[in-house]
Amino acid sequence: MNKEDIISSGLLELYALGIASPEEQIQVEEGLRRYSEVKQELDAIELSLESYAQTYALEPSSKVKDKVLLQVAGNGLLNTHTAEQVKVRQISEGDSTFAGQKIYRIPTFFKIAAAAVLIALVCSIVLNYSYNAKYQSVKDQLDVAQEQIKESQQATVAMKDQLNVIGDKSALPIVLKGTAKEPDALAKIYWVKNSGDVYVDPTNLPSVPDGKQYQLWAIVDGKPVDAGMITTKKGIYHIQKMKSFGHAEAFAITLEKEGGSPTPTMDQMYVISKI
Amino acid sequence: MPEIKKYSEEELVYLLKERDQSAFSYLYDNYAAVLYGIIFKMLDNRELAEDVLQEAFVKIWNNFSNYDSIKGRLFTWMLNLTRNLTIDTIRSKGYKKQSKIQNSDNTVNNISDNTNTAESFDALGIRKHLTLLKNDQRQIIDLAYFGGFTQDEISKRLDIPLGTVKTRMRTAISELRKALKN
Repeated sequence: MNKEDIISSGLLELYALGIASPEEQIQVEEGLRRYSEVKQELDAIELSLESYAQTYALEPSSKVKDKVLLQVAGNGLLNTHTAEQVKVRQISEGDSTFAGQKIYRIPTFFKIAAAAVLIALVCSIVLNYSYNAKYQSVKDQLDVAQEQIKESQQATVAMKDQLNVIGDKSALPIVLKGTAKEPDALAKIYWVKNSGDVYVDPTNLPSVPDGKQYQLWAIVDGKPVDAGMITTKKGIYHIQKMKSFGHAEAFAITLEKEGGSPTPTMDQMYVISKI
Repeated sequence: MPEIKKYSEEELVYLLKERDQSAFSYLYDNYAAVLYGIIFKMLDNRELAEDVLQEAFVKIWNNFSNYDSIKGRLFTWMLNLTRNLTIDTIRSKGYKKQSKIQNSDNTVNNISDNTNTAESFDALGIRKHLTLLKNDQRQIIDLAYFGGFTQDEISKRLDIPLGTVKTRMRTAISELRKALKN
């Protein structure tokens, strides 16, 4: 239908009066979308009818407005754009009736309570993740600390052993001095007279490169005898018990490959002593 | 003293879609009286008419997302909503018990009768709506606009030919448009 036909058809009047059939409504609405002239014509018709309706206007009592505002405050979200405020009372009863029909309203309190619970739940879930992450972190730190304590305790035990040896009156201290190759190297031997136990304190030996290890020798009857490998605990030297000897002319330490060697590598001698 | 703001139709619609409280208050202030007058005309009972008016405005607020400005002016939409609500009330059991005449034609009588209508006089003491239209024109318009009767239904109820109904209606609206221009 073109715009002239719609306008002259009388359909717009029916539409404005609110008595157009569903099919007629579709026709009109299509015309409204397509032609601005149709919209303008409808506008004019509507305005004239509105003006006519105004002649029947009657003031209702003021309490109606109060009741309306009370009801909508509970239902929709009211925004305020002006300073004017409308005071609203909470609806205490759950339903009311008029004209034979029941109106059910959810009291505002319950709506607010439901929203609060939902917010609390969301916050709780978020905090849960946060706390879990923190717990894991703390747990890891605890594990590391416990490991450190264990090492520290072992070090303390080792230190006690060292002190015992040094303090033993029957232990003969022997200094192994650095060779021409390693003049700054130093080691100590504690040779317990009665038992023949030999303890070495290798703390002043230079750090050992990878794959190498210090080996202790006792010179007995002019021949070098293996007295044991010097071990370190996490790279730290400590007094350790070696093989026992009844008598020996001298002690020496050479740098051998890891695990040791049956005979000493003479040019790898770091320290030597003379009894 | 709050500033007196006058909203255009577009502004009002926009704000109401935004759920603006002051706009809704403005809507009530400007339209409650005309809607109440129509409801009262149909129900002939102030208290009941006020209940329906209250329900109408709450429904206007709750259903405002349904209003489409492309399809027509705000008042037309509000009036249709109000009219349907009033008709539902008339049809409900509660109303039938209260009304003196247990007859659905009561509505027709109320609408087409002028004696119990609102007392709206202009400065000269003449009922304004009487000056705008002739009786037979007004009758047709009122039955359609306030009563929601189709041309077919009006033709049957008043026992006049459909063609006559159509002609009177067209003329009536033409008169109203002329009156508005002056």
